[in-house]
Amino acid sequence: MTTTNKAVLLVGDSPLYGELHQLITDRGYRVLSLEEAAVQPEAVSLAIEVNSVHLQAKEELIRKLDQLLVPAVPIVTTSLAITATETASWTKHPGRVCGFGTLAPLAERELIEIAPALQTEEAAVRATESFFQSLGKETERVEDEVGLVFPRILSLIINEAAFTLMEKTATPRDIDTAMKQGTNYPYGPLEWADRIGLDEIYAITRGLQRDLAEERYRTAPLLRKLVLANRVGVRSGQGFYTYDAKGGCGV
Amino acid sequence: MAMHTETVGVIGAGTMGAGIALVCARKGHKVKLLDTNQAVLDKALTYLQATLSKDVEKGRISDGQKAETLALVDFVSDMELLAVCDIVIEAVPERLDLKKNIFGGLSRICRSDALLLTNTSSISITEIAGGLPHPERILGFHFFNPAPVMPLVEVIRGTKSSEENVQRAYRFAEELGKVPVLVTDSPGFIVNRIARPYYNEALRILGDNLADVEKIDRIMKRAGGFKMGPFELQDMIGIDINFATTQSVYTDFFHEGRFKPSRIQQRMVQAGSLGRKTGEGFYDYNK
Repeated sequence: MTTTNKAVLLVGDSPLYGELHQLITDRGYRVLSLEEAAVQPEAVSLAIEVNSVHLQAKEELIRKLDQLLVPAVPIVTTSLAITATETASWTKHPGRVCGFGTLAPLAERELIEIAPALQTEEAAVRATESFFQSLGKETERVEDEVGLVFPRILSLIINEAAFTLMEKTATPRDIDTAMKQGTNYPYGPLEWADRIGLDEIYAITRGLQRDLAEERYRTAPLLRKLVLANRVGVRSGQGFYTYDAKGGCGV
Repeated sequence: MAMHTETVGVIGAGTMGAGIALVCARKGHKVKLLDTNQAVLDKALTYLQATLSKDVEKGRISDGQKAETLALVDFVSDMELLAVCDIVIEAVPERLDLKKNIFGGLSRICRSDALLLTNTSSISITEIAGGLPHPERILGFHFFNPAPVMPLVEVIRGTKSSEENVQRAYRFAEELGKVPVLVTDSPGFIVNRIARPYYNEALRILGDNLADVEKIDRIMKRAGGFKMGPFELQDMIGIDINFATTQSVYTDFFHEGRFKPSRIQQRMVQAGSLGRKTGEGFYDYNK
């Protein structure tokens, strides 16, 4: 994709925001905020929206993007906490809305999942795929459901680890050690959650529970409370573990 | 060599028991490897000889060391001979009646301060120890397959296990060169519980037609950094084994929805498509 002169509109408060901003800039795009795009909407070639926790804010942003940008501009939105189909339903031009999902840190993701909404037109899906490929990522299309594949499975592993910790069945260190040494996980689920952001994991389990309405997706009370207390992991200095100013692990 | 050597009884000379016997003997402990089936004991001896010969070929140990290690292992078929043991590790098939019977026998035969460990992945330690004299010395000691390779040991604290014995078992695992973790007796302990969504949720995603087997495996490896995808892993473990573990965790959690087994997996078990061992599972290995 040779859109180096083109600008990407990036909005949202997910932990993905900062990393996406960096990656997109590094790949030669201009990144615009909503305010910057408002005065030059014709410069925007693609918009990305990454809210997961605050769905009302997500809806307001999506509606603004839909009003601001001409229908040919794809709106790419995280479908971690809500389906792309529901997000598209908020717009006047749902054919340009396409879901995607991944988790921080992006440097460790070779592949990004793309989830077209039921309404998404093929051109918007292709544009989304080309865009992520231009960021150096492989893409894989999956059907639209909350959390896609990797974020959904990992969130439920982390949720189970949170239940195990809440019950004091084992310590955080032992839970992480067990999953790395007993079954070859790349990271322990609790240290992994601290790096991703507990708020992002919570948004996924809550979204699965909301949309699929099964006990299977019940969020561990400990996970919910940590997020409410803003102990979201490395980013806030505390999550399942406590971190010093350099991000080193203390407790 | 170990800081101090113990006499360790290992009950059951199958893959797990023979592997555990090897782990103990390599650290200089005397081992009494017990099985009532002579053919199984013979096979265990062959396995120990072959594995240690490979160590010699690769220059890890000398011929002399191989002979010394083998000489540490006694192959026995009479449980009464375990009376001399400081520690006994039971590694028979996962059947409660079998295990209860063995621990009943050990309670009678062994010294009251002998540590009695069960290598179970799914049976309650508390239930195995329930009603026996000195339940404080009965603990879970869960190795992962293959025992000589996988570093983890889950040290499982039953309701009546004493803290002193928990610490003893923990130190023993460290002396064996393993990485121990402590866990309170609960279904699936740590690993088999927290790993359930890796399989179960992948099966749900498959069943809901959100992505196919190859795609899910590829995503979990390329996006998630897992070494193996959930379906190739099930094929390797055995779909029947994986299904049985899920069922056991589900039952023991009193049908908590988070652990609900998958109908896809059930049908595959019913059809005899069990993974690599039958040549067909989620992938076809006959091609």
